[in-house]
Amino acid sequence: MRYVPVIGLEIHAEMLTNSKVFCGCANEFGGAQNDRVCPRCSGMPGTLPVVNQGAVTLAAKAGFALECTVNNYSAFDRKNYFYPDLPKAYQITQFQYPICTNGHIRVCDTDIRINRIHIEEDAGKLVHDDYEGISMADYNRCGVPLIEIVTEPDFRTVEQVQAFVEEIALRLKYAGVCDSRMEQGSLRVDVNISIMPEGSSEFGTRAEIKNLNSVKAIGRAIEYEIKRQAEILDKGGKVVQETRRFNDNHGDTKALRSKEEAHDYRYFPEPDIPPVYLSDEQIEQIRKSMPEPPNMRFERYTKEYGLPADDARLIVLDKDFSDFYDETVKLCPSYKQVSNLMLVELNRCLNDSGTAVCDLKFTPAALAELVKLSDAGTISKNAAKDVLRTMFETGKAAEEIAKEQNLIMSNDTGELEAIVDKVIAENADSVESYKSGNQKVFGFLMGQVIRFAGKGANMQVAKDILTKKLQ
Amino acid sequence: MAIKELHEKLVKREIGAKELTKSYLDKIEKHDGDINSYITVCPELAAEQAEAAQKKLDAGDAGVLCGIPLSIKDNICTKGVKTTCASKILEDFVPVYDATVMEKLNETGAVMLGKMNMDEFAMGGSSQTSYFGGVHNPFDTERVTGGSSGGAAASVAAGFCAASLGTDTGGSVRQPAAFCGVTGLKPTYGAVSRYGLIAFASGLDQIGVCADSAEDTALVLDVISGKDPSDGTSSEKAKGNYTALIGTSLKGKKIGIPKEFFGEGISDEVRTAVMQAAEFYKNAGCELVETSMPSLKYAVSAYYLISSAEAASNLSRFDGIKYGFRAEDADSYGELIKKTRSEGFGDEVKRRILLGNYALCSGYYDAYYNNASRIRNKIIEEYAAIFDTCDVILTPTAPTTAYKIGQQENDPVKMYLADICTVTVNIAGLPAISTPCGYGADGMPIGMSLVGKAFDEAQIIAFCDAYEKSFARKEVKF
Repeated sequence: MRYVPVIGLEIHAEMLTNSKVFCGCANEFGGAQNDRVCPRCSGMPGTLPVVNQGAVTLAAKAGFALECTVNNYSAFDRKNYFYPDLPKAYQITQFQYPICTNGHIRVCDTDIRINRIHIEEDAGKLVHDDYEGISMADYNRCGVPLIEIVTEPDFRTVEQVQAFVEEIALRLKYAGVCDSRMEQGSLRVDVNISIMPEGSSEFGTRAEIKNLNSVKAIGRAIEYEIKRQAEILDKGGKVVQETRRFNDNHGDTKALRSKEEAHDYRYFPEPDIPPVYLSDEQIEQIRKSMPEPPNMRFERYTKEYGLPADDARLIVLDKDFSDFYDETVKLCPSYKQVSNLMLVELNRCLNDSGTAVCDLKFTPAALAELVKLSDAGTISKNAAKDVLRTMFETGKAAEEIAKEQNLIMSNDTGELEAIVDKVIAENADSVESYKSGNQKVFGFLMGQVIRFAGKGANMQVAKDILTKKLQ
Repeated sequence: MAIKELHEKLVKREIGAKELTKSYLDKIEKHDGDINSYITVCPELAAEQAEAAQKKLDAGDAGVLCGIPLSIKDNICTKGVKTTCASKILEDFVPVYDATVMEKLNETGAVMLGKMNMDEFAMGGSSQTSYFGGVHNPFDTERVTGGSSGGAAASVAAGFCAASLGTDTGGSVRQPAAFCGVTGLKPTYGAVSRYGLIAFASGLDQIGVCADSAEDTALVLDVISGKDPSDGTSSEKAKGNYTALIGTSLKGKKIGIPKEFFGEGISDEVRTAVMQAAEFYKNAGCELVETSMPSLKYAVSAYYLISSAEAASNLSRFDGIKYGFRAEDADSYGELIKKTRSEGFGDEVKRRILLGNYALCSGYYDAYYNNASRIRNKIIEEYAAIFDTCDVILTPTAPTTAYKIGQQENDPVKMYLADICTVTVNIAGLPAISTPCGYGADGMPIGMSLVGKAFDEAQIIAFCDAYEKSFARKEVKF
């Protein structure tokens, strides 16, 4: 039988606050184990959580970025379960009154509804030492502020899911909510998936696949799961409601726990934290502070700047790259020229060396200077590429490089004419050959001119003089 | 001796801070063996603090609590000093930080004599569930002190400190104060920071004061109260100056007498003593207003559901992983927490954890936790209605005087019902103060409570002070 998958997502995104959500510890990635813990986030007796207002603001921004309603009233609850990476033995989350509700995002011509976005704290990590046979708890991640984005089961294809995750990741990054580094776990996806016979509208029993950390893994996990569930149904079996884990090496999913083994989280209102009230004015202020979202930026690039859609998309896809572009064209509005230099030459440098845009040795202002030199005809378009490569390597200013490498185009035609005369005099055979119809020799003669004139010579002018003198 | 008098003597150098501290330590050493009010006594630390206080006094820069020896209930975190909650599971737990109230007391130069015995995790009304043995009432060592701040109240009654910090979740400061014949103040929820108070029921817990008089409780509250950025539930409305209304006229004030608090289950001698106190106020020019709290009959049930639910969650962190007692011979995490918690908690604590988790289970949540929350709202409304017309409310603090040890602690339901007079105050988050208003046939003290509007501590303190000045209080004799 043919089946249609029904998929909903739960996406956890780490928010880019300076400190953790309920204490003053730094909110960072990496570092030595248990380096960023305090009595509060390690759940010492008597400590109390105090809400980081920055986390509330970012969660509200996530709401705007994902086209949700940001609520005036939200409140925290406790989700109770025992696990050694959870020092209080409860997670503070928003269960009954989430901060954002009722969003929707359009991908692949399909509207995906977002049920809610709520704030919660992350748990720590367990480090297992199989050799010693012990497990150790690292609480650095305890209290890292998360938002959980819960969608309705509106997805019917893998492509929709993948496009949605990419869109969410991009929008959160643009909003400054999350750096969306799936490989570092700052954005993690749980997939709820069931299948139903084609033509049916009655959902099947779902399985939940936990903690997928790449768009590719999401695709593979869903495809495996569709196949697995279809095989069960085809044999007349029943899919069991359970939580499963995706194994990236084997490309399969394995059961973690069934519905019967599922926790009863005994949610109840968190008595240590007063409810969060955001006035209409505060909400409006947050909305106004939202940076331009990626879809609007794309519009601007194509409509105002006249960039081709493909180029615009490529720039928008990386926020840092796009920010760099914006800063540059603000100083030097040669939209197409800057776009070409960045998409071809700069991207090649970045990719070849594995460098991130934020680690560039030169500023947008420096790039703007380079483009201005090229626009003014001070250096050639080709030379601009060479200069950009050197800027990438050394961080030196464009003009300095151009001078060092002798790339400043000479506009002194008298000098060029003298060189051309000299080349013609010294290469009588070639000139003869050219005049008798061998066009190829022109390239050789041009090469000779450049040899004497240097790279900085204005090629076009040199070419014109040579052509004239050969007639 | 009143804190003000001690302060004057210290300021006038009629007594030195070290000498004063030593006199208390000597008394503790000599007599606390019979009372068991202290879990930990800190002679060296107290001597150091007294010395530091003396310097402040000498420099002429001393607040009223500077050099005053206090005792602290053992569920309030004290940096470097064992804080056990009277439980095996925290038997050797030494906090790495000070509770906010301790920071404030330390800053003002108060001296900490030691940490006070209590019911395990503040769950109980007898101070008999302590892992370190029960507390004995200084008026009759065969009787209970009440609880859970039994050590705090007993230490004040016995003169083992000038005043003591207790905690009150459902009456745990007021009821032992009544049983031990001292004054006990439970401030408005949010008046005192809970940061560093090892939580029993977060939405009900409040640090309070046991002392010799209403004025003394006010002087301590002045220092420990106020908004604390470390506690999101603490309030800006706690403004201090709690002695401000002492000595002002009570004429024309209205005292609500909610009839349900004087009904069945309240012993005749308690009812009589409290009504006599009401007469005192009437003679002082107050108007007595009969009022009603129809929901009182549900209060104990609601209280035990809410407090146990919160406790079940709050006490989950004691799993043997991070601190405190850890059971041996467990070969999985599941088994480790099972064994640690089974061996580390006493029966009463386990009973409440079971009750609380049951009330929160999906399927039971609406019937228990939600209904309890509804009653909570109802009680808040009923208090508000009374305060529409009345300035304060007068009730008994406990249905009886202190009973003999072993008499009723083993009947949990009977124990729980004895909280009827005190729990509504916590449910509504209001301030209340208990003071002795008579003695029973058994010679044990009887307490009455004055309940105020939120953050109106100064008012009930003034009412209480006026009464105390007319009442002949019995002293404990060793």
